[in-house]
Amino acid sequence: MPSKSKKSRPGTDRPISITAVVDCVGALASRSLHGNLYLYDTNRAAGSTGLGTEELRTRVRAGDRLLWNVISLECETYAAIDAIVVDPEVCEPERHTYPGTDITYWTATVKPGAPDVAHYQVRLRLGTRTEPITTTLRPALVG
Amino acid sequence: MNPKVNIIALVDVVGALSDGGLGNGNLGLVDDSAFESTGRGTPDLCTVVQPGQVVQWSALAVDVQTPVEIRDIVFLGPDGQPAGPARPDPEPGENLDVNVWSGVVPYLAPGVPHRYRLELQMHEGPHAVLHVDSPALMCP
Amino acid sequence: MAQQLAIIVLVDIGGALRDRTLDDNVYVFDNMRFQGSTGEGTGDLVTAVNGSYWSDGSQGTEQVLNWLPYALGGIPPTVPRGYAAERSRQIDQQALDDLRALADGADDEAAGGVNRIRRDIGTRVRSTRGARGLTSRKVLDVTGRPVSGADAAAAHNYATPIITDITGEAVDEKIIYPAEYGSPDMVTDGWYWSATIDTARPGTYAYTMHVQLHELVERDAGLRWEAVDLTCEARLRVVTEPKRNAFTGGGLGLLPVYPAPPAAPAAPPA
Repeated sequence: MPSKSKKSRPGTDRPISITAVVDCVGALASRSLHGNLYLYDTNRAAGSTGLGTEELRTRVRAGDRLLWNVISLECETYAAIDAIVVDPEVCEPERHTYPGTDITYWTATVKPGAPDVAHYQVRLRLGTRTEPITTTLRPALVG
Repeated sequence: MNPKVNIIALVDVVGALSDGGLGNGNLGLVDDSAFESTGRGTPDLCTVVQPGQVVQWSALAVDVQTPVEIRDIVFLGPDGQPAGPARPDPEPGENLDVNVWSGVVPYLAPGVPHRYRLELQMHEGPHAVLHVDSPALMCP
Repeated sequence: MAQQLAIIVLVDIGGALRDRTLDDNVYVFDNMRFQGSTGEGTGDLVTAVNGSYWSDGSQGTEQVLNWLPYALGGIPPTVPRGYAAERSRQIDQQALDDLRALADGADDEAAGGVNRIRRDIGTRVRSTRGARGLTSRKVLDVTGRPVSGADAAAAHNYATPIITDITGEAVDEKIIYPAEYGSPDMVTDGWYWSATIDTARPGTYAYTMHVQLHELVERDAGLRWEAVDLTCEARLRVVTEPKRNAFTGGGLGLLPVYPAPPAAPAAPPA
């Protein structure tokens, strides 16, 4: 009888990607991400909701690997995640760089015993602005 | 004498919005006046024109996929402040691209820079409009 | 607007390959929300194209659309498109360097053998330089690291989608004139779809994007990329307004320079 939950070796599956699409010029003109941010993930089939909004709710389970990255609507404009602010009991995001580039992404592994709903904030660096801009509304990881 | 003089504002939109200002190389003004204009490539352009010539302003984004439009051009009075009645603010979402910023140079006291405020709009929001008071028109 | 309008086509590749449709698996954006575009980030984008015309009826501003397809859950588009090929070369080079280090510490016979291998591999690496097709690349995961065997099928980075054609009402009605262009731009790796727009006929016009995805499949005991062709739609809402003089609200007039010009030219100061 096939096992219900297909176990694979850790680190060999594709992580759940969470992508922030940001209208950089709009965000800089209003100094706010509100109305200028669209969040998506690759876990809609498992029950993620709020795709395309600032309040994405990503369905996660303990042990899931998460990867955050960012896409700018103006393709030549710099945008990078400066920090992901989340309860360290839930996960501890770390910054990485694509080998051979200076382009960053963030990863984390969902810890066991995390609460059912864990809100977090994303802080973005945009354009040449030295001060990062933080999300106004809070996306969440939901169990 | 060419009957028309073009003034083009080249704007680094992302740089200007990031800095919250048009300094720091975020704005360069150039013209095609046949006379010896000064400050070309800077926000301090002084365009030398003659009465009767038509001056036309336009704005271009250096980062080509970003929006920039001229929101207003107002000549300054002797106190360095915009003179004359204020033009009404554009409606939100108004297509500023239909505006043609051109006019005939009237008689101007020669040798005196007539400074103007150039107001630029980049996207929408409380920090979307930036201006400089440094450019000028001057008759030789 | 005089700016070039970017239309971003973000494809949930995993979802699209599973469902064999782009419905609910594509999110389309432009950078014109503040000019009236609607449906940003959904599968139902309506792009506002705000045209203008001169008093003689001719088009006021050149309007240009650029389409950029991206993969959701893939290496982001800021990483140059040639990245996979470039990474393949870096990985091979690293292997050669490791081998060289090994050879340096080995006895003469072993060193000779290792050096021969190094020469052979080096030749093959060089010969793949410039070959940027999917087939010649190593399989990378979403963090840019190589994966192989069964892991590759489970963890590979999705290939960036490719637009192969743009058709439909807006093209048939000659509202847009799309074509694929070459460019030295690193972001699009030299190719992108672009169109100029005829803004003289206001209205809402649909168009169809033909999107090719690539699926890594196991066949004949090996991994192969296979093309999967799908389509999605978006619309353009074209409006046009007459150009007007911004100083006068009408025709050309005297510039409002302070002080107001006197009725007759005064004598210049002595």
